[in-house]
Amino acid sequence: MVETSLQQHINQQLFEKLELAYFCVDQSMQIIDASENLENYGYTGVVVGANADDCVDFMFGLDAYTELDLPMVESPSGKKVSVSLLPRDSFLTVLISSASAEADQRQLLQQKANENELLVEQQIKLMKQLENASEMLEQKNVQLEEASRLQTSFLSGVSHEFRTPLTSIIGYTNLVKQALQSAGDDGSESDKVQHIGAVQRSSKHLLSLVENLLDHGKLDSDEIIVRPKETDLAELFNDVELLLKPLSDGKHIDFIVELGFEQPMIVVTDDSRLRQCLINLLGNAIKFTDSGSVRLTAKLSDDFLKVGVFDTGPGISQENLAKIKLPFWQAADTGKAGTGLGLTITERIVELMGGELEISSELGCGTQVSFEIPAPQLDAEPKPVESQMLPFKQAKILLAEDDYDIADLIVMMLSERGYEVSHVDNGELALNALENQEFDFVLMDIHMPIMTGYDVLRELQVKGIKTPVAIMSASAVESDRAKAEQLGCFDYLIKPVEIDDVIRIMNLAIDQRA
Amino acid sequence: MLKKKICMVGDFSVGKTSLTQKFVNNVFSEKYLTTIGVKIDTAFVNDTKLIVWDVAGRDSLSPINASYLVGASGIVLVCDGTRQSTVLDIKDIWQVVKKRIGEVPAVVALNKSDLEDWHIDAQQTAYFEEQGWQTFETSAKDGQNVKALFEALVSEIG
Repeated sequence: MVETSLQQHINQQLFEKLELAYFCVDQSMQIIDASENLENYGYTGVVVGANADDCVDFMFGLDAYTELDLPMVESPSGKKVSVSLLPRDSFLTVLISSASAEADQRQLLQQKANENELLVEQQIKLMKQLENASEMLEQKNVQLEEASRLQTSFLSGVSHEFRTPLTSIIGYTNLVKQALQSAGDDGSESDKVQHIGAVQRSSKHLLSLVENLLDHGKLDSDEIIVRPKETDLAELFNDVELLLKPLSDGKHIDFIVELGFEQPMIVVTDDSRLRQCLINLLGNAIKFTDSGSVRLTAKLSDDFLKVGVFDTGPGISQENLAKIKLPFWQAADTGKAGTGLGLTITERIVELMGGELEISSELGCGTQVSFEIPAPQLDAEPKPVESQMLPFKQAKILLAEDDYDIADLIVMMLSERGYEVSHVDNGELALNALENQEFDFVLMDIHMPIMTGYDVLRELQVKGIKTPVAIMSASAVESDRAKAEQLGCFDYLIKPVEIDDVIRIMNLAIDQRA
Repeated sequence: MLKKKICMVGDFSVGKTSLTQKFVNNVFSEKYLTTIGVKIDTAFVNDTKLIVWDVAGRDSLSPINASYLVGASGIVLVCDGTRQSTVLDIKDIWQVVKKRIGEVPAVVALNKSDLEDWHIDAQQTAYFEEQGWQTFETSAKDGQNVKALFEALVSEIG
């Protein structure tokens, strides 16, 4: 009796502690017993005789024979409960206990774990998107590089093609001008000389534009080379003044040149690159100045040449100052023609010469451009470079050139000076001629039919023919020059060639051979 | 009146509770609250009373508790159209279902169709077609195809 009472007490304590509730159903799922505390979980109407399917939601679909645990079922009260179905011989006991504490704890952990996993998934997805975007960018970059390479190649090709006809134009107008000048200076001939002079200036201007285009092609490939040599600075600045004066005169603006040295002033610098920079900077200044003046200053100090170009043009806004060194950039509102390459190339050349291009400007106050480059001074007298001073040396020359206009021009100019010139129009004929006849000097183009100039140089090396060969090419690409020099050419001239340069080189070659 | 037990199953955070709540109470919440255990709701499709068991989602640590499936007449397989893995996981989940209660009628909800990065291609859903399941692009947010999904399942159950 005592034991039964104790057992009942224990059971009571246990039921209360676990918040246990229960009901029993028979095999037809009819409720045959139920604890009173079922209502604590929101299970109402669970009374003897009722059908469990109707009054307890989780009972629908279950049977009285299967043992089953249903953890953490949300009860109608909102509390989580654990449900255990315990079948006996003829009935099923359903125990319901509180699982709130466990569910709350689990909720916290699971929520955090799931959120973390979602974050990781999101990160992976974002990484993948980033990778895809990066791949796309890389592809775009490759495409852009290819487009840039094609553009460069196109520009180089075009400028190369332009050089050959320009050689003819400049050469022949020179001949016509000389003929007109020697015919006498009556009024009509003077007009013609002026007209021809205008054609020559335009041609040279066109040539400088072409050179800029070609140089732009080299900017990315580091092919612009500076070749310092003995140069008379005073003569170079005078040449530039003579070249650009007609442009300033045409616009009725003053062109002032202030040199801090006198002729001769021999320094070591790349005269053609320095000339190119000056033409670019002064050409810009004159182009953009409609009234007032353009002033060029140059002085030597401690083996450094300091150059300044000052104009009274419209000036440049701070916004545009940041852009003017970009290739092809031109202010939209100036209405001035040009390639937009001059400043880009000048900046690069000045850098290669060891200086830095500085630009300062303000809208309405003009523009100042300056640079300072090393120019070590030499004491020696300048070498005689005028054509009339070049000594004549009897020589038999072979000219290999497939462009007949240029070939005729060179033959004419050399013949006028008393040289004996044979012309062939392809590399194979040039090789045959050199194998069968004696020549003192060869002037040869690179790009010729049947055999190129390179092929001829190679064959001459193989056959041991030592006749000095000067290459005359429209290609100013450094690698072409290097290739020709590697194949043993005596010198490499870029079209349009000056006939005096040809004679000087020939004399040098003949002297060395002797 | 007919009464049927159906179960919502799928990976965690695919929108089982959202679909159920949209269907049962026509409510939607953006807030993600993971389901612990199971929540039981009732709703009607025509004259059929559905006892809807919204079962806690499967995650990497805990599989679906197959006890909840006992007595179910149909299954709604839910996956998230923005998470490819949840679509592929349906195959495994179906094995659990089949093992416990056999091949009951099922429909598929490709949920979260309202989201921008929703991306499902035919290759991923080929398995659903093989099984002959009706597949619905659903959105618990705007209610797209939610009703149709449950109606289709009731119709499949017969």
